[in-house]
Amino acid sequence: MNNNLILSVNKISKSFTRLAGAKITVIDNINLRIEKNGKSGQFISVLASFGSGKSTLLKLICGIEKPDSGEILVNGNLLNGTKGEVIFVPEKPSSFPWLNVLENVQFGLEGNKPVQEFIDAVGLTGYEKHYPDNDSIGFRFRISFARALAVNPEIILLDDPFRRMISKTRDEIYDVIRSVMKKYNTTFLLVTTNISEAVYLSNKIYLMKKNPGKIFHEFNIGSETATEMGLNRQERFISLRSEIEKLFTSVGENFQSEIRI
Amino acid sequence: MIFKNKTGTSPYIFLLAYLLIWLILFEFIIPASNVLPKPSIVFQSFGALWSDYNLLTNFLSTVSSIYLPLIIAYFLVMIISEFLFNRKSFFAAFISSIHWFGKYLPGLLIAFIIIYWFPDSNYIESVFVFFTALSSMIIFYQLEIENVEQEYIDSALSLGISKSNLNRKVLWKSVQPKLFSHIFEMHLYIWSMIIAFEFIKGGFGLGVVLKNALLYRDLSALFSIFIITGVTIFIGQTIIRFLKKKFAFWS
Repeated sequence: MNNNLILSVNKISKSFTRLAGAKITVIDNINLRIEKNGKSGQFISVLASFGSGKSTLLKLICGIEKPDSGEILVNGNLLNGTKGEVIFVPEKPSSFPWLNVLENVQFGLEGNKPVQEFIDAVGLTGYEKHYPDNDSIGFRFRISFARALAVNPEIILLDDPFRRMISKTRDEIYDVIRSVMKKYNTTFLLVTTNISEAVYLSNKIYLMKKNPGKIFHEFNIGSETATEMGLNRQERFISLRSEIEKLFTSVGENFQSEIRI
Repeated sequence: MIFKNKTGTSPYIFLLAYLLIWLILFEFIIPASNVLPKPSIVFQSFGALWSDYNLLTNFLSTVSSIYLPLIIAYFLVMIISEFLFNRKSFFAAFISSIHWFGKYLPGLLIAFIIIYWFPDSNYIESVFVFFTALSSMIIFYQLEIENVEQEYIDSALSLGISKSNLNRKVLWKSVQPKLFSHIFEMHLYIWSMIIAFEFIKGGFGLGVVLKNALLYRDLSALFSIFIITGVTIFIGQTIIRFLKKKFAFWS
């Protein structure tokens, strides 16, 4: 057993039975590994098109769903149900409108543990008593994000949460994630449909095709993110994007990257 | 929130306008008739209602028969909501069968059956309200938890929350605004049912006062009872709205 692995997903598969009785394989024999990085947290992305089983993959990894076959190990231990080791942040805002920001962040904790540092870390200082009803997606994401950080998880799973955000908010959230990664040594696993986003944020990218959902390629971008290298305006950023597009085309998927610089 | 029509005018303004018209027309212009009583006679009959129709006892009997069972039913649903979460449970199946039963059997028919079986019981109308409110709230809750945002459930589960806490802290809370709206509607239904129930059964209650006023052809007493009932229902609705605003303020 490799003790250096935070997450090890070994040959997991998942099928669902439709109303007519037909079985649909959503996830097929997926392997995924995230190794420990001594210095700081990491950002791993799974890039896939719509309907490829991205969300199902994350729900399997955090224990909300159970795989039909295969195993998931977190820090070498078999994942058995949900224990707060791997936190899932859904695509749509998930902050509870009946709790204020402070209560939301304390939600997964026992007792009233201090969470102010996490509220500060996501930029919600001064909003502790505010109830997040009808607030912007970005605001509500920050709450879910602080709530995830407060339980001190091994990995935070992000289910394409930036897709519905306006670009200004998205850029602000990227900055928050990067600062949190450095400060708390947190590892993120993002599933996204946005090639630019994956290249911009990630240390490593897995490419996943659909019908059934299967990982067919992986890119090691390196320990530094594209931003740190100053590459988002440069040639490598663009060449990576087009390379990924070509790889998707080679498996029969027309995957257009969204250009955002 | 006060309901407003398309022009933005509150219906209470219209109600007040009608009352004012009645006051002016029937007090000062139109002579005494059988259409509507003179306002001054109605005001006098308020006093007579206390003595001749034993209004206080009957009023308290109706109000306690409605609100006490309603409150108990609400808290009972809160306690048993954990069992309602699991739709495969025996209890859930039992409730679904009541739902089916209630769909095809009107409340008033159930009231007739109850009156037939318990003609002398003083508490049977409270029991009737309790079971009507309880079954209605249970069915509503069970249907409504199907619409709770999946994101709330997934987030809570991934934070390692237990099934009972998921129900208490997420599902029950999430359903509250719609449950209060349901209680708001149910409140009117229960009032009309209970007045009809008392009217048929006899004993105590505003329905009995109404029956007696009709029996004696006491138009002004009838008019006063309608005003008292209307004002009480209005206060009840206002309190429910206030409670919703206070305890289920989110959308």
